[in-house]
Amino acid sequence: MGIKESSKKKFRRVVMWSALTLIILLIFLSVYGAFLGAERTQRLVNTLPLTVYWLSFVLILIAGLVVFRRLVRVPSLLLIHAGCVLILAGAMWGSDAGHKLQEQLFGIDKIRTGRMVIYEGHTENHVLLEQGQTPKELPFSIHLKDFRLEYYKPGSILVYMPDDTTRRIPAETGSEHNLGGEVGKVKIVRTFERFRLNIEDDRREAIDAPDGELMPALEVIIEKPDGSQLKRYVFEPSQGYMYKDNFQMSYLRMISDYISELQIIENDKVVAEKNIEVNHPLHYGGYHFYQHRYDAEAGQYTVLEVTSDTGLNLVYGGYLMLCIGVFWQLWLRHIFTGIKLKKLRNTPPPINWGAKYSGFLLSQE
Amino acid sequence: MEIKYTIQGLLIYAAMGAYLLAFVMSLLRHRKAGDILYLLGFIIAVLAFGYRWYDVRHTPLQNLFEVFLCLGMICYPASFFCRRILQVGGRCADMLIGAIVLFPAGFIFSAQPQQLPPALQSWLFVPHVAVYMLSYIFMAKATFQAISQLAGKSYDGDEKLLPPEQATYRMICAGFPLLTLGLVLGSWWGKLAWGDYWGWDPKELWSLASWLVYVGYFHFRYMFGKKHARINSAWAIAGIAAILITLLWANLSRLFSGLHSYAT
Ligand code: HEM
Repeated sequence: MGIKESSKKKFRRVVMWSALTLIILLIFLSVYGAFLGAERTQRLVNTLPLTVYWLSFVLILIAGLVVFRRLVRVPSLLLIHAGCVLILAGAMWGSDAGHKLQEQLFGIDKIRTGRMVIYEGHTENHVLLEQGQTPKELPFSIHLKDFRLEYYKPGSILVYMPDDTTRRIPAETGSEHNLGGEVGKVKIVRTFERFRLNIEDDRREAIDAPDGELMPALEVIIEKPDGSQLKRYVFEPSQGYMYKDNFQMSYLRMISDYISELQIIENDKVVAEKNIEVNHPLHYGGYHFYQHRYDAEAGQYTVLEVTSDTGLNLVYGGYLMLCIGVFWQLWLRHIFTGIKLKKLRNTPPPINWGAKYSGFLLSQE
Repeated sequence: MEIKYTIQGLLIYAAMGAYLLAFVMSLLRHRKAGDILYLLGFIIAVLAFGYRWYDVRHTPLQNLFEVFLCLGMICYPASFFCRRILQVGGRCADMLIGAIVLFPAGFIFSAQPQQLPPALQSWLFVPHVAVYMLSYIFMAKATFQAISQLAGKSYDGDEKLLPPEQATYRMICAGFPLLTLGLVLGSWWGKLAWGDYWGWDPKELWSLASWLVYVGYFHFRYMFGKKHARINSAWAIAGIAAILITLLWANLSRLFSGLHSYAT
């Protein structure tokens, strides 16, 4: 064995031990981060010591690819390990530090992440950054044509029963629900979007006022166990009214979607248009725009989350390679080996996967 | 503890009962009766899952009740596949695993049907959860083999089956690509729904930790082969411990409040 050969083996051993150490460290970091919570972990992983850690991980992966020839020759192993390099590189390139570096090196001044508040009918190009930082401008503007909420139909009535249990009944107009001896029957008569009580000459009349404020409500008739009937209105908890008797009721509507109708405007022309909703962002000019929050009181404005797409293709490319690699290495290769063995022996296989490695530190490959 | 006096509940309890009886019969070496009861348990579990699907009218993989119900159903085909194709035994333990995974669906989590919040309305939802489910079953079987290895068992009495150390490796080989796919699909979905492919929230971090434990296992085993077989097994057990925490602790405990907290 030549000196060169033995030092190569030593180097391999160092690389492998470093890889194992880095993996174990990351396990501990993940568990620690789970206790810290998302925000603090996010800050932690972007600090200088952790940047050094991420760089070391990439370096050790590259060193592995250089010193273990099998990692390059076996395509599945190459896909796995090179995929990991791409994911880490993409993540670093797209991080805060990555954006700053690109600004210094190439003069690319891109916002990494921020928020936009846009009122219905208005056009905006300012992105709000973290507290204390001045907002930045995008090279194009966004116009909010309309913002709307959609609800699951029908909603439901949450009933707090006299025995402290709760029941949920569907708020379907015309339906009748028997809630048992102490409470009686509840019949749902009418649904309102913009409930308003008109009082004229001592006559009170509930109407759905098209120009009124949003106030979803239900008109119900309660038939008490003694046979008497009451007409009552049930509102959402946020309205501050709750039907109270020996039992209580409130009206619940579950949101099924938030939709912002957006137009991208560049040089006074509409260059793109999309209705964005949760899970369906808009991609334009190197940014993704997400439905983030909305004006819960009046539904007048939307809050978009803006994120830069820098590094994203690298990460997605890495994901694809990693996935193909692991299925190929751990599923397909074994299946092919099994079929080959079966053909050779023409007997049912024991595919001896487990015995494949005698252990590299012991056998020295 | 919530006992369900509904058709849904009864189906779950019947499937659990059949799995448990199958386990007892197999322990008493009434193999045939055990096998028939196990199959019966599976058929009832399919009915329970189908009933739920009909009831909520969307793929029932939204909350932990439905997830455990699904796990209780896929145990049987997974067990069959592992024995016939992968030569990994542990059928008797599989019956017990079936009953154990149905327990939370039967007694702990509420079966109240829910409407999907906007973030969960994505085509990625079902594949993300489904591949995780399947990988968890494989990893649970790997753990059983690892425990057998630590307990000093050699073969399962069947010549065609692998010894525990190798069986553990094979089960992890089966489960790891699915675990990877689950993680990647989750990350992709996170990007679409929340704007970032990685949010560092506790549930993500626990799932990363469990994935990394298996990455560690592969490299440790590559470095030492079977020289430290007990440590190999310890890695596999650490893996399932991290998975269990990912699945339960992050959801149940109020210690972590993160993006995934609606999935309770
Ligand atoms: C940190 C640096 C890393 C180094 C130096 C390294 C090195 C190696 C080596 C030398 C092998 C054995 C290849 C063979 O069969 O001859 C291997 C296998 C493998 N590595 Fe890595 N690796 C690293 C990180 C990773 C990461 C982050 C993953 C995550 C997916 C990974 C996944 C795998 C898998 C799945 C195998 C195949 C195991 C098997 O077939 O039993 N590696 N790695």
